[in-house]
Amino acid sequence: MLKTIIKKEVLETIFSYRFPLFAIICLLLIPLGMTVNQASYAKRVRDYSEQVRLADEAAAAIKIQDVMAGTVAVKGFRRPAPLSVFTQGFESTLPRYYEFTQDGFKPGESASDDESILSVQGKVDFVFLVQMVISLIALLFASDMVSGEKEAGTLRAMLANSLPRDTLLAGKIGGGYLALWVPFLVAFLLGTVVLMLAALPLFGGDATARVLIIFLATSLFILTYFTIGIAVSTSAAKARTSLVAIFIVWVAFQLIIPKLGDMVARLVYPVRTETAVSLQKSLLVRSLDIETAKELGRQFDLIFGAAPKGAVDDEKSPERKKWDPIRDDIQLRTRERKGQQLAAIDETYIQERRRQTNLAVNLSLVSPSAAFARFVADVCGTGELERAKYIEAVRSHQKALDNELFSKVKRTLMMHEGGGMSMSFSAMPVDASKLPKFSIVPASIAETFKANVRSLLSLLFWLIAPFAYAYVRFIKYDVR
Amino acid sequence: MAKQQPILKADDLSKRYEDGVLAVDHLNLNIYPGEVYCLLGANGAGKTTTINLFLNFIPPTTGTCYVNGIDVTKDPLEAKKYVSFVSENVMLYGNFTARQNLDFFAKLGGKTNLAKNDYYQVMRRVSLQEKAFEQRVKNFSKGMRQKLGISIAVIKDAPGILLDEPTSGLDPKAAEEFLEILNELKKEGKAILMSTHDIFRAKEIGDRVGIMKEGRLVMERTREELQYEDLVKIYIDYMKSEPLTLS
Repeated sequence: MLKTIIKKEVLETIFSYRFPLFAIICLLLIPLGMTVNQASYAKRVRDYSEQVRLADEAAAAIKIQDVMAGTVAVKGFRRPAPLSVFTQGFESTLPRYYEFTQDGFKPGESASDDESILSVQGKVDFVFLVQMVISLIALLFASDMVSGEKEAGTLRAMLANSLPRDTLLAGKIGGGYLALWVPFLVAFLLGTVVLMLAALPLFGGDATARVLIIFLATSLFILTYFTIGIAVSTSAAKARTSLVAIFIVWVAFQLIIPKLGDMVARLVYPVRTETAVSLQKSLLVRSLDIETAKELGRQFDLIFGAAPKGAVDDEKSPERKKWDPIRDDIQLRTRERKGQQLAAIDETYIQERRRQTNLAVNLSLVSPSAAFARFVADVCGTGELERAKYIEAVRSHQKALDNELFSKVKRTLMMHEGGGMSMSFSAMPVDASKLPKFSIVPASIAETFKANVRSLLSLLFWLIAPFAYAYVRFIKYDVR
Repeated sequence: MAKQQPILKADDLSKRYEDGVLAVDHLNLNIYPGEVYCLLGANGAGKTTTINLFLNFIPPTTGTCYVNGIDVTKDPLEAKKYVSFVSENVMLYGNFTARQNLDFFAKLGGKTNLAKNDYYQVMRRVSLQEKAFEQRVKNFSKGMRQKLGISIAVIKDAPGILLDEPTSGLDPKAAEEFLEILNELKKEGKAILMSTHDIFRAKEIGDRVGIMKEGRLVMERTREELQYEDLVKIYIDYMKSEPLTLS
């Protein structure tokens, strides 16, 4: 019986005017979107390779004098994510590189600077098409599956037979979904072939598994929207009523809830920009350096004020023996204070962001669309997880450069009470060729799933809840 | 001769809708194999509600419907195996051909493994034009749809048939053809309950005729009794009489 209903639903969908329209949209837009994004990715990779080459050359040419002069700025570039062909996510808004100096790191410009004017209208990538177009089509396909048959009277004709209602509902969902899923499957395979022909590394590492996860997640997402459509359709007596309800649901899930969540989070927990934080850190470093220089100048004047000439340069003079530990102690305390205060700024900033992000994510996850987009972006390496990994790598690289490069020069700046300034240096040799290379450890698939438990739960909820609702409504429906 | 068991039986059947309207009021009905029972009544008299109750489309407020001795409320799926239904406007899938529609509903009726010729044979029996067999039904006339609807009932071969105003809107020729098919089904031993407004055809085809008013079966006559009475006059008199209830 189930097979009969599924077959009928598939045939009815195929014979409808909507099906060829949907098939054309899928077969045209999905591979096209992937092709365009692949070309954009290839360009970004070329730019990245060239910039890394130049940065490596610049790093290899670093001399200790440059470090002493405080003019060294090492750049660490982020490699574009290959799977950004499926979703851009934060790909174009993340800084292309970070600049590391002895005073800390700051973000460089983002890839969005290169984008066309059309980007302001939203990027047409795979996830965008699925979220905006296929979800709407799935809802439209489902919109009259029950209400249309109620209105036409064919539901009465069917239920006049020995047909269990749950079988009928399952058959409708199964058949209707199958008619949607097959064109999507073909379009996805076509797009994947196009990407492979364009030499995108879809095999090797965990890329194949990730592509498979994207496909499965999208299939689940389409089923979710289809089931939501069926739930609306079982509630309406007329196809037109369900159509209007479906548009309201779609607008709420696609446009209102995700954006509202973000807006509310920004209002409730405002967060400073990363540039503002960098500036705050620079000011702190400068202020501490000045304070230290003044303290060093005062101590220096106290010790060497009445000392004979040459005592400063004579390591064995009693003044030097007194001065060296005091200077080291002041500098050590400054380093500790600087480290603590910079870490506190970072920690406050991270907490502010985390609070805002958590609220925005939790609110937006009311929409299955937002849940899907977040999950797929993380699978593709262009989501929130990648952003966190990027900043983690930046911090770790700054520490490594501090150890391997910036700490090789000890600057002792002194500001004397009389107004004069003096500076002394002590430097250790630097092997520029052995400087650490900047790299981001990508999130593993397991990490991606762990970080997206809420998104997956949201998707599952929106799959199960509408089905349960539709089931109850349909079982209790009085056929008149 | 021992009395046969009724195929369609309503036992003290009542239905009151949520809005308080009493659509069927203590209805008792027995329809036997080879019998056509015509239910007459104005709009809202409770004819369609009675059919809906036999199909378990809605639950009864009190009383029981039986199909082939099976309590429809307790075991609706089993009961529906023994009954076919043809509505006033036979609803079919417009994008399917006549054969595809017949195939789909035959399978729902439990008739699997039928060949193309089996469908053609049934469609020929109900006098559907040969050229229409493989045509999409969206362009079918009402008469053609009605013929296809009765062919669905024929192919299911259930002992009970429920017809909800099947001749309404049909031209005289199509209505006559429809009644011929009904006569054949009756001869095959089917128990047929037909709700209708058509007094003349009810008299012509019905072995018994009942008049419903405000949910009650107010009159019942056999074919023999009607030979000596004017059904039109009886019907109009009942329709003109005072309302039975104030509720």
